[in-house]
Amino acid sequence: MEKQETMTIEQSLDVITRMINEAKGKVQRNAFYFLLWGWVVVIANVGVYILSENGYQHPEMIWAITIPAWMVSLWRMYSKRSSPEASTHLGRLSGWIWLGYGISLAVLIAFGSRINYQLNPVVLLMTAIPTFATGAILRFRPLVAGAMTFWVLGIVCFIVSKEMQPLINAGAFVGGYLLPGYLLKNKKDE
Amino acid sequence: MMFKDLDPLLHSQLRLAVMSLLLSLEKADFTFIKEKTQSTAGNLSIQLDKLSEAGYITIEKTFKGKKPLTTCRITKKGIKAFEEYVNNLKQYIQR
Repeated sequence: MEKQETMTIEQSLDVITRMINEAKGKVQRNAFYFLLWGWVVVIANVGVYILSENGYQHPEMIWAITIPAWMVSLWRMYSKRSSPEASTHLGRLSGWIWLGYGISLAVLIAFGSRINYQLNPVVLLMTAIPTFATGAILRFRPLVAGAMTFWVLGIVCFIVSKEMQPLINAGAFVGGYLLPGYLLKNKKDE
Repeated sequence: MMFKDLDPLLHSQLRLAVMSLLLSLEKADFTFIKEKTQSTAGNLSIQLDKLSEAGYITIEKTFKGKKPLTTCRITKKGIKAFEEYVNNLKQYIQR
């Protein structure tokens, strides 16, 4: 491939265009976390609703299922940390946005008692942001639509009773994570 | 049409391909570059060293398990050289 002195303008431009196209679309399209967390959050919310309807004292205990989900997520992040053969600036940016979201979420949960555990609407509005950003980065409209689901149902969550909030929450994660997650999984790379 | 005053380091098919690829990425490993540029390991290795010596890219050699892993990134100097090269190309087109 060494044709140093004989390259023409057309060949130069062709090489540049071809390589930039090769690099395009290298943003990792990974549906794993959307599906894992979508299911975990939907199960937890539906569980909270069912348990509280049946008079169970501590329905929030079902949120303990997030502990193994965290372990699986951290293990996967660790084991895949060096595996991408190429990474893009946008992919890295997406990772930082989700990390920022994770930090805010952890703080919110840790200080939940300060706002009387009225976390559901805030979590939905917060979740919209990284979902929206990832949708824009991947240029994947179902994720952008998913973010909008979070915003709309975040508003609904402020309006409905506390007892109904888990169901709205579950619906938001079906529309915001699970549907786009499955569409992302089934989408073939361009 | 032949060119004399284009950056000779970039005016080579494989080195230009590597630089164009790295320009769009944060980093890429040797195997990925080899596959995308359809080059041989030996030739690619030589061209990467030339780009690295010029300060256009950085090469980081680590291990992934027991396998050696060579990761390349474009530097600011490399980006500037690439931009200049493209600007020079534009001038040729406008002539």
